[in-house]
Amino acid sequence: MWSEKYRPQSIIDMMGNEDARASFVEWFGKWKKGTKPLLLVGPPGIGKTTLANLAAKQFGYDMISLNASDVRNKNRIEEILSPILGNASILGSPMIFVDEVDGIYGRSDYGGAEALIKILKEPTVPIILAANSDLSTKMKSIKKVVKTIHLRPLPPRLVQLFLKKILKKENAKLSPGSLIKIISESRGDLRSMINSAQAIVTGFEPATGKSFESLDVESGVNAFFKANSIDEARSVLYSLRIDPREKINAFYSSVITSSISKSELDKMLQVLSQADMLFGKIMRTQQWRLLRYLDEILIGLYQKDSSVRYSQYNLSWPLLNRLRWDGKSIKELATILAKNMHISRSTFGTLYFPYMLFCIKNKKMNLDLEENFSDIIEKEIEKLA
Amino acid sequence: MSVSDLMWVEKYRPHKIAELVDQKEIVGSIQSLLKNQSEMPHLLFSGSAGVGKTTLALCLSHEILGEHWKDSTLELNASDERGINMVRDRVKTFSRYAGLDSKIPFKIIILDEADEMTADAQTALRRIIEDTAKICRFILIANNISKIIDPIQSRCAVFKFSTIPEKDVVFHLKEISKKEKLKSDENGLAAIYEYSEGDLRHAINLLQATASLGDITEANVKTSAGLTKVKDVDIVLKLALDGKISDARNKMIELIKVYGMSESDFLKYINAAVYKTKNKNLSDIVQTIAKYDFRILSGANPEIQLSALLAELTKFGK
Repeated sequence: MWSEKYRPQSIIDMMGNEDARASFVEWFGKWKKGTKPLLLVGPPGIGKTTLANLAAKQFGYDMISLNASDVRNKNRIEEILSPILGNASILGSPMIFVDEVDGIYGRSDYGGAEALIKILKEPTVPIILAANSDLSTKMKSIKKVVKTIHLRPLPPRLVQLFLKKILKKENAKLSPGSLIKIISESRGDLRSMINSAQAIVTGFEPATGKSFESLDVESGVNAFFKANSIDEARSVLYSLRIDPREKINAFYSSVITSSISKSELDKMLQVLSQADMLFGKIMRTQQWRLLRYLDEILIGLYQKDSSVRYSQYNLSWPLLNRLRWDGKSIKELATILAKNMHISRSTFGTLYFPYMLFCIKNKKMNLDLEENFSDIIEKEIEKLA
Repeated sequence: MSVSDLMWVEKYRPHKIAELVDQKEIVGSIQSLLKNQSEMPHLLFSGSAGVGKTTLALCLSHEILGEHWKDSTLELNASDERGINMVRDRVKTFSRYAGLDSKIPFKIIILDEADEMTADAQTALRRIIEDTAKICRFILIANNISKIIDPIQSRCAVFKFSTIPEKDVVFHLKEISKKEKLKSDENGLAAIYEYSEGDLRHAINLLQATASLGDITEANVKTSAGLTKVKDVDIVLKLALDGKISDARNKMIELIKVYGMSESDFLKYINAAVYKTKNKNLSDIVQTIAKYDFRILSGANPEIQLSALLAELTKFGK
């Protein structure tokens, strides 16, 4: 495999991201007990794993690799990492590399994320994390305890240079058309670029002709609904590698906001309900192997020439704002009053609050509460009419 | 005036066991249990809404703990507490300093809407009850006793509350009317009973809302009766059956996310709403609701499931 054969042998040999590599080497050189762990953020295939591997080799560490599936519950993390963190000297000089940390989240209910953060706060060995994106709100708690280095996709010029070098060594040729196609479709992902180059040179054209490897949610959902065949839709779905919860939610918000017929909407929501139920079951039982069926359920959403397009939000702005602000005020009010009246918040909102508002409106009740509730009460009284 | 006295339901809530409306048999046996307080078992009260379960639990706490009742009673509502761990933590913290005050025989934990807990959570609760039994007595309250697992039932003395007959509800409403100096007529009070379906708590709330309009007449009762959010659930169902799925969903989300209606209450009310519509597909509709209720219980996302429910209901419309 060319992508293995031409994997750089030292950090200096790598392509692009000079500044990021420099700060990476600096961090490693200055590392001592207690130095903040490092988070490498960047799209797939630009060398995050390679960077960690080479650093271990060059600085003389034994690298212990974990990926998302190792880090999804507390016991598993402690089982793997406690011996390393506890008896550093016995094991030589270990370092820890956790790939796909953005994939841990969403599974965090079982203490995996908390356990990891606990370790990150008191590093006794160098710890490097890698993620494709650090934008999700869920990465925030990790970001607080690490130093972040961003790696950018490689510019086409560099990719071309690198590709030509390989072709020369391999004594292979590519038509200018294929060359441009490979480079532009790689989107700066060196590994996938090398893989496609090797495939084409050896005479294998991928069936879809498109690489979906680094699709973001929006283009992923759109490509799915625009796909010309169910096979294409399936390959989009499989390459849309995001947290399963986010995947279900993205399809849900897109479907629910589109203008499709009642029966079509019904059918699609049935599919999403099934997918969501499966995911709920996975979360409850922690049987992650069931995840492999999720995409096969979601493929049921595909219909040729569907008009569904990506939408991030599943509610209109006015309603979203009402949930966010009025919902918050009413919840605060309910928390105080429900306790006083020995009822649940739900009972308060359903059976008490409307009557109270009515009495206040008719000037037969005077709610003597803190000032900040008067706005919401006035607003809700208006809605009563 | 304290916040809790604003609502007549609170203002006129009995503080002594003997003052409880109806439930004579239960009051009798509870009073005989109280003769030997330290031997009192855990209690489980079941019965429909507004028949006096929470009131009796609070009365017991007043009578057993006297002036210490406030500090030595923990009130939890399973519908508000997120998960059994929350319950465990709060019980643990509460029971930790027990025994310091020798003037009380034990502390009291009132767990309301206990039937909202899953069977798993109830199994965990069983352990919590055992661990704290030396220090605390539990009073569990549930609408539906069949949703309480047997091992918990067997650890408690069970009291089944009966619904309060119309004449007693009306009598009680008249008492309050007298104290609040209201003018009421028989038709008005009968209408309150009818709308509140034997739920005394709801009846008193409705009485108060009606009183804010003026006299307790049938017309005034009618005006106030439509105020509750239960009515909005009826509307959600109607919108869904009319095929207005987006409106139905927005209203459903508003009920849950703005007014705090729990998903299980929403399902309870929409199920009741189906019977009011007299739709010819009644059993299909109820089965559909049951399907999604089950999915939510097994850990699926309520918003997605309830949206799918509303979309599926569109096919049962005219």
